[in-house]
Amino acid sequence: MNDQAWRLLLDDEVEAGFGLAADETLARRVGCGESPPTLRLYSYRSHCALVGRFQNVEQELHLDFCREHGIAVNRRPTGGGAIIMGADQLGVALTVPGRDRHAYGGARQLMERFSSGLRQALEGLGIDAAFRRKNDLEIEGRKIAGLGIYRDRSGGLLFHASLLVDLDVALMLQVLRIPFEKIADKDIASVASRTRTLRSILGADLPFDRVRGQVAEGYASAFDIALAPGEWSASEAEAIAALERSRYGTGEWVFQRTEVPDLLGASRVRTPGGLLEVRATLAGKLIKAVYLSGDFFAPEASVADLEGSLRWHSGDPAAIRATLAPVYARWGQCLEALPLETLVAAILQATRQAQPPAEPDTVPDPSSDPYGCFVTPGTQHA
Amino acid sequence: MQTIAGFDFPRQRHYDAASHFWACRDDESSRTSIGIDRLGLEALGELAYVALPDVGSRIERGDAMGTLEAAKMTTELVSPLSGVVVERNDLLLRDPSPVNSDPYGTGWLVTIEPTDWPGESAHLISGPALDEWVAAEVERYRAEGWID
Repeated sequence: MNDQAWRLLLDDEVEAGFGLAADETLARRVGCGESPPTLRLYSYRSHCALVGRFQNVEQELHLDFCREHGIAVNRRPTGGGAIIMGADQLGVALTVPGRDRHAYGGARQLMERFSSGLRQALEGLGIDAAFRRKNDLEIEGRKIAGLGIYRDRSGGLLFHASLLVDLDVALMLQVLRIPFEKIADKDIASVASRTRTLRSILGADLPFDRVRGQVAEGYASAFDIALAPGEWSASEAEAIAALERSRYGTGEWVFQRTEVPDLLGASRVRTPGGLLEVRATLAGKLIKAVYLSGDFFAPEASVADLEGSLRWHSGDPAAIRATLAPVYARWGQCLEALPLETLVAAILQATRQAQPPAEPDTVPDPSSDPYGCFVTPGTQHA
Repeated sequence: MQTIAGFDFPRQRHYDAASHFWACRDDESSRTSIGIDRLGLEALGELAYVALPDVGSRIERGDAMGTLEAAKMTTELVSPLSGVVVERNDLLLRDPSPVNSDPYGTGWLVTIEPTDWPGESAHLISGPALDEWVAAEVERYRAEGWID
């Protein structure tokens, strides 16, 4: 075993602003050598909605609903989409000094081991999970955890993941603004049955702390390192409070806007197997997600595989083709009804026709106080 | 295009070893443009968003001057020089794709009036030292898995 030990921090009922300030503070202090490498396994107070670093809050969340139901809204330092967090979602934050490559390797290698820690944890629970492009952890093609990296200027690295022990799907659908809302109405009924959570697989009585313990063991094993339970130091608590006051507790941070336009596009084409409908959401030229539907026949898992491979993906035709080709190779005849070139053409048609969505009714005043949420577009958990 | 170890590294620029940013000084005006070098971009992947400092703001070498979200991570932009921002590439705020497609041209980030070019540029890599540094960095990036 590695002779170094990581600190293990356990936290529950965490407020959104504190939770995010704590992770960013740790990344900076661990990068500077002021705090030890730390694995933090925590849960937020139910519920909050957290958007990705550059998302526009009012485009991602039903702010009126959040306000009426006391759901905190905030913005993560890490990228990706919006998610809801609460007592049944396990937050995993690993902070390590990125420049000490002899001890920990590069960020990408670390990401693989970070992923491995989570996968080993699930294996310990008897669940076979797989990673997609090293950022999404999936069970049977359905996302159960999303991973992100934030690199601080000190060189400190924060690896972030949220693991669905359970999920209130109905609440999620009320909090998140689902793209193509009118079209999505007919799909909402199937969202709950398509969502994978650990309790949906292992039973409703699965204790949260059993999952947390398994995750700690998974990381200790994956990194061959000891975990020493610890607490926040006084100087850490002071630094976290300062960052919460100056950033995560301010409307300027939570309600900041990006100029990269959110776009929605759709196309409908006839394939040898039937009608194919493609809906795409974009951040400028980058594909955020594609949704495939229609009356063609293909296994649901293969369609989920296609959709998952294009999350946060380049809109370049050659790159789309290069990403989809291995998925087709993996599924073989199962995707016969949906030829690769037909799908690529339909995706390109949808992205080229993409337009900004209608502006939400309520655009918050950036100087107003944030009131609380932690979130990825809801359909990513579908 | 000036290629070293398979990567485009124009020789008329100075490079920051820590952040993989480049700096290019206009000798007449002394203004200096700043951007991300090709190897740094390989480690980040395709950019989705970028936030840049306001014109008129003061930035310090080694401090954050903005943030970006790319395919592989979200990270702070670390300035290779100290100075005052005199121009910002506002087009990138709406479409950051030129940073990936043309990092030494239309993908520039900001132009600054450096406060200590003679002192701070001495810490940047340029001239004959460039070949050895780039070759070593490419090797390191491969070993760490940043590039294939």
